[in-house]
Amino acid sequence: MKTDDLIEALAAGIEPVKPARLSPLMVGGALAVAVTVVVLMFGIRPDLAEVVRGPTFWAKAIYTGALAIASLWLVTRLGRPGACMGMAGWSVMAIVGLAGLIGAIELLLLPPEARVDDWLGFNWKVCAINILKVSAFTAPLIFLAARRLASTRPLQAGAAAGLLTGAVAATAYGLYCPEATAAFVATWYTLGMVAAAAFGAVIGRFALRW
Amino acid sequence: MLLGLDGDSKAWRALLSDIRPAMAAFFKRRLIGCEADAEDLVQNCLIAIHAKRATFDRSMPFTAWAYAIARYKLIDHLRRQGRRGTVPLEDSFVLLAEHTVEDGVVRRDLTRVLAILPNRQRRLVEDVRIGGFSVAEAAARNGFTEGAAKVSVHRSMKTLSASVQNHED
Repeated sequence: MKTDDLIEALAAGIEPVKPARLSPLMVGGALAVAVTVVVLMFGIRPDLAEVVRGPTFWAKAIYTGALAIASLWLVTRLGRPGACMGMAGWSVMAIVGLAGLIGAIELLLLPPEARVDDWLGFNWKVCAINILKVSAFTAPLIFLAARRLASTRPLQAGAAAGLLTGAVAATAYGLYCPEATAAFVATWYTLGMVAAAAFGAVIGRFALRW
Repeated sequence: MLLGLDGDSKAWRALLSDIRPAMAAFFKRRLIGCEADAEDLVQNCLIAIHAKRATFDRSMPFTAWAYAIARYKLIDHLRRQGRRGTVPLEDSFVLLAEHTVEDGVVRRDLTRVLAILPNRQRRLVEDVRIGGFSVAEAAARNGFTEGAAKVSVHRSMKTLSASVQNHED
């Protein structure tokens, strides 16, 4: 095909477009899937009605939710050719850093013998793994949505999409997980989400090519 | 670009035609020897710019965005071909270094280093190590037996590298 004809054909069929972003429907759907999976796989913590009145449940949700929003921003940004992480990347790091700081302060305020219990909680061994399991169900929708964008750095974009997946999964997992200490959340939740980001980077390498 | 995003087909045609030569130059420069692929890549790139036009951020410069797409398509192309920068033999002169002022400098250094050797040995070393003669040929040219030539070259090289090392210390 001649290039002139190609240009002609492309220009003839042009339609107005809105700036590309992750479809809110897909991201909302991913959250719904995550909640469903948590309810079916783990159930809901029995004392949910009580804890929603306390601050710790919401603190956890705010951390993972804020991370989800920051990584959503990061995915959208990395989905533009030529854009770098910029402010979005910094905000992700700032949120994780802040959570780590709060967790560390909490540990330091406790007497030394209580610190390990506070940090490891009841189920530190399964927390990150469970977040990964939920992520596996959430990921297809997120990556499908991310394919609408066009990242020139598939590895980074994949990691960002993986982090978004992990953050959505972790937010839903908060419905089940009885842990409430900041140190626990800052360590094991973050670990689960970072692991999801690592998987995401590998997936993105292949799934986010265009 | 902005008009094109809003669906103005005349503006879009003008934009694609405008960037086409720039894209062609971009790919040709980077595809020495397979310029034939350049036109394919230009078309690929125009299609990508068209298909992914929604990812253009209105507050960002257009050229940065367009060249990022071009670079991505180029890398993709090279990766698919599985080779890096091959050049046909008849054009291979582009890969060879041209004679530059540096040659003179090297030659001068070489003469200075070799000057410490006695005349006969120096000629032997020059013939074997620089002139490209075999040991047997060089030995005959300078009146050595082959065995003596080998030993002589070996000793000379040792002396030379010792002298250079001393110099560096």
